[in-house]
Amino acid sequence: MTTAFAPTMTRRQMLKRVGAATASVTVVAAAPITARAAKQEVRYAMVIDTRRCSGCQACSVACKAEFEVPLGGVRSWVEHIEVGKFPNVERRMLPRLCNQCSEPPCVEVCPTEPDKATFKREEDGIVVVDDSLCIGCAKCLEACPYDARFMNPFKGDPVKTKGNGVADKCDFCMHRISQGLQPSCVNTCQGKARIFGDLNDPTSAVAKLVEEFEPTVLLREKKTKPSVFYIGAEYLEAKKDPKADQYFRLDTHRNERSSKRWS
Amino acid sequence: MLNRRNFLKLGAAAATTTVAGGASLNAHAVKDLPDWGNKGFSPTTGKPRQAIPSACWQCVTRCANIGYVEDGRLVKIESNVNSIRTEGVMCAKGQGAVNHTYDPDRILYPMQRVGERGAGEWKRISWDEALDMIAARMKKNRDAGTPEKVAFHYGRMKASHSKTIGGFFKAYGTGSIGNHTALCEGGKWTAQELTWGGHYDNWDFDNTKFVLNFGSNVLETHTNHIPTAHRLLWAMAEKGVEMVTFDVRFSNTAAKSKEWVPVKSGTDGAVIAAMINVVMSEGLYKGDGEEFLKYTRVTEDVNADVPTKIAAIKAHVKDYTPDWAEKLSGVPASKITALARKFATTKPAVLVSYRGLVCHYNGNEGERLAQLLCAVTGQMDKPGTRMKAVGAGWKFPKIPKAKKVKKLDIFDGFPGQVAYPTHHVAEMVLPMIKDGRNGRPDMYVMYCWTPTYANGHVGEAIEILKDEKLMPFVVSVDPFYGDSTMYADLILPDTPFTERWTAEDMVDPAQIGEFYIRQPFTKPLGEARDFSDVVFDLAKRLGVDMGEAKSHEDFVRLACENTPGVKEAGGFEYMKKHGVWHDKNAIPQQQVYNRPVPESVYKAKGVALDEASGVYWKPASEEDTKKGYVATKGAYKKYVAQKMPHGVFSGFAPDKVNKSGYLELWSPLLKAKGFNPFPTWMPIPEHQKMGPDDLILTTFKHATQTHSRTMNCKYLAELYHTNPAWINPETAKARGIYDGDRIKVTSAIGEMVTKARVTEAIIPGVVAISHHCGHWAYGRYASGRRAPFTDEERGDRDFKFKWWTDNGVHPNWVIPNAPDPINGQQRWMDTVVKVTRV
Ligand code: SF4
Ligand code: SF4
Ligand code: SF4
Repeated sequence: MTTAFAPTMTRRQMLKRVGAATASVTVVAAAPITARAAKQEVRYAMVIDTRRCSGCQACSVACKAEFEVPLGGVRSWVEHIEVGKFPNVERRMLPRLCNQCSEPPCVEVCPTEPDKATFKREEDGIVVVDDSLCIGCAKCLEACPYDARFMNPFKGDPVKTKGNGVADKCDFCMHRISQGLQPSCVNTCQGKARIFGDLNDPTSAVAKLVEEFEPTVLLREKKTKPSVFYIGAEYLEAKKDPKADQYFRLDTHRNERSSKRWS
Repeated sequence: MLNRRNFLKLGAAAATTTVAGGASLNAHAVKDLPDWGNKGFSPTTGKPRQAIPSACWQCVTRCANIGYVEDGRLVKIESNVNSIRTEGVMCAKGQGAVNHTYDPDRILYPMQRVGERGAGEWKRISWDEALDMIAARMKKNRDAGTPEKVAFHYGRMKASHSKTIGGFFKAYGTGSIGNHTALCEGGKWTAQELTWGGHYDNWDFDNTKFVLNFGSNVLETHTNHIPTAHRLLWAMAEKGVEMVTFDVRFSNTAAKSKEWVPVKSGTDGAVIAAMINVVMSEGLYKGDGEEFLKYTRVTEDVNADVPTKIAAIKAHVKDYTPDWAEKLSGVPASKITALARKFATTKPAVLVSYRGLVCHYNGNEGERLAQLLCAVTGQMDKPGTRMKAVGAGWKFPKIPKAKKVKKLDIFDGFPGQVAYPTHHVAEMVLPMIKDGRNGRPDMYVMYCWTPTYANGHVGEAIEILKDEKLMPFVVSVDPFYGDSTMYADLILPDTPFTERWTAEDMVDPAQIGEFYIRQPFTKPLGEARDFSDVVFDLAKRLGVDMGEAKSHEDFVRLACENTPGVKEAGGFEYMKKHGVWHDKNAIPQQQVYNRPVPESVYKAKGVALDEASGVYWKPASEEDTKKGYVATKGAYKKYVAQKMPHGVFSGFAPDKVNKSGYLELWSPLLKAKGFNPFPTWMPIPEHQKMGPDDLILTTFKHATQTHSRTMNCKYLAELYHTNPAWINPETAKARGIYDGDRIKVTSAIGEMVTKARVTEAIIPGVVAISHHCGHWAYGRYASGRRAPFTDEERGDRDFKFKWWTDNGVHPNWVIPNAPDPINGQQRWMDTVVKVTRV
């Protein structure tokens, strides 16, 4: 339902944007996520403990600056979701980024041959875009159920991409983690709400948190098997969300045009 | 271009340009990535970025930071992981500062007005011409014996900047120096000065067990924001510390609280008063409270014993019952009682308060009531409570003052308007100039100060600033073409803080004190110059003695070489390399008040006891002794110790006002000005007269913006650029207003049109409009208007991708300038308005 005070989007649209399951979808039991993929030695993952997140958006700016992401483009963003009825209001903070899916629908649709421009790295599970192969068709933007991608006009070969730029998104700060440095959004986070590491290493912080909390993932029913997990966001998979039925408002700077802007 | 397929094989490129000691901060990191910062790499080439330790200045918190430079260009700002204040984390604003340097509307050359004031017609001049012009005016006034007609008004000027720039004007002979503190937090400061001296309190979240918050949005914005906020988040997450937040609006701080208690605007003080009533009537003061009360003054008699004090407080708060407070505040009496008990019995607990409590007519009393509640529960100045704050104590070079320093009496409001304007009354400066009774400046220099945007009554401020009869010569020192800069006659291109030197000193929540410096990430662009260097040039032209230092960098160097501790660590070279230093053996400061003072000190030659106040002090003359401590001007500077019935103690040393060494909750100073000496509930006159469809306009700040100086940062403007008015559905419905509707907000001084954000996250009866937005200048990212002399994009490839056109509204057009009668704090939260659908 929409709230009585006419938000511009329908709640269903919003829920898609939030990445929440709609009320009719039953909760699918979590797969044993710590199991190793056949050849994958490392599975990089991020756990976001929303209980520790104040919605400050330091992560959004950290990511923006790290990559000089063009205005309108977004690799990392935070959704503020207001629900409930005065005075029993709640504001849920939901930091968002690419889910580095184990079954990435974006890779599926990438048309370049023989190598796909966007692919999942076997050695660590990061889904990346090879700027030199990307033809700027934006098919992956459509395929991503999480709206994690945008077209970056500053990158790629203008001829090959027909001036569209290349698809871009979070790559877990590969250039930092490869040097032993925490991702840009992680080291800045004032709540230490973002925890990064190797899920295949049972002694890592992320593995321990996943083990302990069985955290939520976004749109589990899409079977994408995300590598981004949320603690304290059970509402995302709840069958009933009475507060959200009373009133619902989603704020994010990621506007409608973000993902479509250059396609 | 990096090949993504074999990226990780790149391995560890030699990290030669990193800052030393990027140790792990993460408690639960076991076999995780070892480095938490102080190094950076290019995402396109993988090459290390040059890492330069410095300090933020986006807000007054001034966190230590690291700037990352690639090919001479500042590309990223992060926190400094070695800072004990920030512990390596940073807010959005601080990182957005990366945009200041390359703001395409930045002013790069001295500019002289050629058209009408405010018309935007300028010509570029040389620094020599600009400085000659200023020096000539200053000389003229000095020769005429009117140096006070040179008025210098700043918004933010701290630590070594304050010493050199402020020092220059005082050395020249003018004391006509204004600030902006009354618009910000001056009320909080004065209330603290009247009670326990000093003006900063620190909330010890590291050690607390419960947080009771009246009107602070500490997780989004605060005077010591990140150092405090992250500690609170960690305390809540790791120790399960609960916070209860009283606020009219459901801020992000309220959202992270265990409980949000909506309270009618301006009535927090009544709730606190009722909590004191509960503590006193239920005997919850017993033990810690009684012990602490020894060090407080709550009666006229400075020698009163604790039972007498308790009786006095009981009598004073007798009528402040929870039922009484419920009627005023809308907060159920049962909740007030329960929270009072919880605060009094959870040891230690911290009482937090800021602008939601103090930016009201009764703000001074609200804060004094907060101090009283802390005192009677003993939740004060010990670990886990509200503590007296500690900052770094630099040993700065001295700049000698002129023999005679004269000043225009225009900075403290109209005669009789404000009782103790210890941080001045910024909002009344332009009205005082218009009025003219205390004289007018011949030259008005604005430094990091935007009177038209930052004060209330914007329309009037613009009229005054434009009027050449009232303001003959206006100089703006600004890196950007701001909303007041546009009305100047002469613009000096200042550097943004990313290109400055400073020796910094802001409050350290660890109660130790952190020394840190700001150094330039890159060389100033164009001909921009830090004003703290420019004053050295002006001094030369005017024959003014600036002491030992030759430039501001030199001043910072000398501070590093002369300050004990920093000096031994390696002085300036150490600080340039590491950015921060603190004494690893220092013991966190607590309980400053109960140290016995030996006889050798209070019986020393020149020290006398002032019987009326119990203060041992050093009167300068017989005359002072006769007048007594309280009546002698500036006597607080001569304070030595406090005589109490149980001994002579260090006490709460006074600052700015002649209070005793007790924590003064019964204030002879306020009594002398006709106020109740006890912290007292004061109804807000405007709110008493409200009609049935009137609303209270309240203001707030958003996590990604500072008050008025960050909307030019594109990364921040993209996050927050418009500010629809928050209004509760019930309140909206009664006016036929629905979400997104255009609404008109009308106050006694004007009206404005904005959009409605109909939300459950606000109490009925108010309308909340944030600061930050609605600029009419400040460059293209902030207002859509370019600075008139900057038509190119200056290499900003983002320009064509700016996707928003709605820059929001500025509420100050309808908010009158209205100082708190005790301390002069601008009352941002008191304006009565009507709201209608357009
Ligand atoms: S930086 Fe951390 S606390 Fe701030 S919004 Fe991002 S995840 Fe939340
Ligand atoms: S991991 Fe790096 S790329 Fe991904 S959201 Fe965080 S900062 Fe952005
Ligand atoms: S809290 Fe203030 S000083 Fe610290 S990083 Fe943020 S804006 Fe800068």
